Amino acid sequence: MEVQIPLLTILLVLPFIGAIATLFMGGERAKSAKYVAGAFAGITALLSLLLFFANDLSFYDECYGWIDTAGLKMSFALGVDGLSMLMVFLTSVTVFLVILFSAAEKDRPNYFHTLILAMEVGLLGVYMAQDYFLFYIMWELTLVPMYFMISWYGGPRRHYAAIKFFIYTHVASLVMLIGIFALAFNAAAITGGGYLADFSFAAVAAASPLFGTTFQILVFGLLFFGFAVKMPIVPFHTWLPDAHVEAPTGGSVILAAVMLKMGSYGIIRVCLEVLPEGAVWWQPIVILIALLSIVYGAFACIAQTDLKKMVAFSSISHMGMVLLGIGCLSDAGVTFAIFQMFAHGLITTVLFMVCGLTGHNAGTREIPLLGGLAAKMPIYSAFMMFGFMASLGLPGLVGFWGEFGVIFSFYEYTVSIDMIWLIIFCLLSLLLTSGYYIWAMQRTLFGKETDKIDVAHVHDVSLSEGLALGVVCALIALFGLWPDLALGVIQTFSQGFISGVMI
Amino acid sequence: MITDMFGSFAPMMPMVIMIIGALVMPALYFITKSRRLLPAASLVVIAASAIMTFLMLEAGYTGTYGSLFTFDAFSGLMLLLFQTVVFLAVLISGSSIETTRMHVGAYYSLLLGATTGMMFVATASDLIAIFVGVEVVSISSYALVAMKRNDPRAAEAAVKYVIIGGLSTALTVYGISLLYGVTGSTNLMDIGAALATAQFSWAFVIAMITMIAGYGFKIAAVPFHMWAPDVYEGAATPVSLFLATGSKKMGLVVFFKIFLILFVVAQTAFATAEIQYVFAIIAAITMTVGNVVAITQTNIKRMLAYSSIAQAGYIMIVLAVMNEYALTGGLFHMFTHVFMKGGAFIVVAALINVGLGERISDYKGLAKRAPLIAFAMMLFLFSLAGIPPLAGFTSKFVLFSAAIYDPATGVMSQWVWLAFIAILNSAISLYYYTKVVKTMYIDKPKDDAEKIQIPKTFMAAMVLCLVFVIVLGVYPQLILDLCANAAAAFF
Repeated sequence: MEVQIPLLTILLVLPFIGAIATLFMGGERAKSAKYVAGAFAGITALLSLLLFFANDLSFYDECYGWIDTAGLKMSFALGVDGLSMLMVFLTSVTVFLVILFSAAEKDRPNYFHTLILAMEVGLLGVYMAQDYFLFYIMWELTLVPMYFMISWYGGPRRHYAAIKFFIYTHVASLVMLIGIFALAFNAAAITGGGYLADFSFAAVAAASPLFGTTFQILVFGLLFFGFAVKMPIVPFHTWLPDAHVEAPTGGSVILAAVMLKMGSYGIIRVCLEVLPEGAVWWQPIVILIALLSIVYGAFACIAQTDLKKMVAFSSISHMGMVLLGIGCLSDAGVTFAIFQMFAHGLITTVLFMVCGLTGHNAGTREIPLLGGLAAKMPIYSAFMMFGFMASLGLPGLVGFWGEFGVIFSFYEYTVSIDMIWLIIFCLLSLLLTSGYYIWAMQRTLFGKETDKIDVAHVHDVSLSEGLALGVVCALIALFGLWPDLALGVIQTFSQGFISGVMI
Repeated sequence: MITDMFGSFAPMMPMVIMIIGALVMPALYFITKSRRLLPAASLVVIAASAIMTFLMLEAGYTGTYGSLFTFDAFSGLMLLLFQTVVFLAVLISGSSIETTRMHVGAYYSLLLGATTGMMFVATASDLIAIFVGVEVVSISSYALVAMKRNDPRAAEAAVKYVIIGGLSTALTVYGISLLYGVTGSTNLMDIGAALATAQFSWAFVIAMITMIAGYGFKIAAVPFHMWAPDVYEGAATPVSLFLATGSKKMGLVVFFKIFLILFVVAQTAFATAEIQYVFAIIAAITMTVGNVVAITQTNIKRMLAYSSIAQAGYIMIVLAVMNEYALTGGLFHMFTHVFMKGGAFIVVAALINVGLGERISDYKGLAKRAPLIAFAMMLFLFSLAGIPPLAGFTSKFVLFSAAIYDPATGVMSQWVWLAFIAILNSAISLYYYTKVVKTMYIDKPKDDAEKIQIPKTFMAAMVLCLVFVIVLGVYPQLILDLCANAAAAFF
């Protein structure tokens, strides 16, 4: 008999060991923490790449008994499918690149890497969990390292931002927890088996066709709130700009590129998959707040003077796009929503790295103080232009396919409900997005060299920073020119997904 | 089998060992005059009692002594809980400077004596036995609080404690006598049987009100809570630990015994719904007041006192839901609370020992001065707030879920609103716990701050709690199984 390697557990354990190892690298050894962290994150990324090209993802499913007492059943179950695969890939690659990018971190570098790797454990856990108890634990596990990341390495108002982030998202998680209780207890009552509550995905999925409509609507509301705050969606977004502005570059990248995706991942994984009737009932509201997020986010971007805050608001707008795709409740919508999650993850990595460089290399991120940076920082400027172009949806880059696909699905939906004029909001946001990006670029990169900052100290990207940025940009171009690479994986999950759950 | 040796006296053996210990301690001090011997001897006594209990529990022993005391899976588990509490308290008392001025013989004697009282309550099956047990604990506690001499805060705390305690005793005696008048018995099962056929009477209502109020003082349920912060602040920290984690649990056990047995086990038909609502409202108010007031505290012992009030509010969910699964969660939370709250008090006591103050601001930069202690404190506080994968999360998980789903009817329970309030409270509590974490980890220490070394016994007690807080979070089955058995034995 073939012995199966527990690849998914290894994916979780590697960064965990790395986090413990770097934690104890105090004093003189702190300088070499980045190599240890890089090694662990690098191997994790390579393994996830291996997984990405695997033929049959379900082959790697794992399930071990964990808690089985007092009528409760929780298991340590991991699995990947077309939906989680892209997220796992995105997480491991982003984390590795962040470590590469932050090679110059001087302030307690060992703890910095501990926090990053600890976050990776939580994030990978969320995307691979096949049990709600494990899912929730992993979900919360990402909070504490991020809290310390912001409050140790962040900007001037970091304490406020860190506590706001922590409590805001914790409240949302707790509301989500109530929904999870309802799912697990109800599932056990329906499927029997002698348990009071069965937290495995499989048990809840098996029971979901028998969930009553009212139950589905209520629980959808609870879970959706929990996930929407994480995404974040207007009007639950106010923690995000604060957290981003104060977080260090590495933290911002992980927060925007991977952590926000936990919200949309949860909506697809839980809200759509097990509560389809609730989804139908909530559909108009979901579409409404998705459009609100898209347009509000875009308008807010125009008003920002801090480059990083602008990018943070653009995240809200682009995550609104993801929610819009989900809200269409069609196979195409879900497919492209997932693709948009992936695309946004790659693009924001570039954007936040560039913002970090602006603050670090030019001394300020205030757009009115900047100008003519292209002459001083040519490589930086090239990356920034590339990132902005990708984000505004230039054909040939990865952002285009996500937005194009979502808008296409939304168009289908508007036709089906005979409200085709709704599409105007999407087009408006595209227009605004191009507007704020190009305007910001003009003011920072081009024009006369600024005299408001000390230009003598302005310097271009370092080797490791350039390498990290180069890899992401290459991925953006690769998936932009060859979207099928990702779409193929997504479709193993989303093909027939909606028709399958809607019955 | 060990219980065979003692015949019908076996259910009492864990208590007997403890009583003998309590009586021997002062004599031991007079003979040896050794301050170091007494804590060690006490630990031996506690361990002997705990091992006895554990063996009986493992063997599945059940037995009664007269009609007053019963040993079963429930009382056995509670005995272990009280033994754990007193073990931690004694462990840190030995090297604590707060207890050195005290008369050590009396101090350890009182600690063991109070524990015996708690154990009486845990095994009691009669109101008289409960009353006697509670009084033993109360009177010992008054003395323990007052023993911290030369501190006006301790004197004030003790006076408050005595007056409030006296009031509470008076109320409970009144309630018990009324209940006896209505039903003609003090045995809980007999009272339940008599009530099943009883008619509505005002005497019964007054009995319930006075008993809820009287024992409400013991668990510091709002609005009977105002003594708790003063007493915890004024007492020596090992005593605060003992009161917050032990004495309060005893009060909850009394509530379980009286109200769960009367209204569920004995199937008293009337007034159950009303009493559930009363407890639901008290629980909601208790947790909210505890958490909201804790936010503004600047003294860490007062903050922990208010957080204890809130935690008691969470456990009172059991009294509102009144089913087996809820009791499982309640017992589990009582256990994890011992380790997380106990751990926090141990850290506070250890830091007082090395000259750090009790104000939260004194903890500035603790992470630099004592990395392990700060880390342990952070985990204790996060566990209290319910952050996974720590013990406090897992126990709240079980406890709160009991209020969401009703296994008897298979639909959403009517107590979902209570779960909502509890969960929002958890979020509020995160704020003040995080503030302490921030003080320890983010704020800069004073310039002259040096590294901190704490005595080995403190370190041992702290690490013990830390291990349990992590292990019970990741592998709750360790104790959750026992809790499920205990709850099953109860109903």
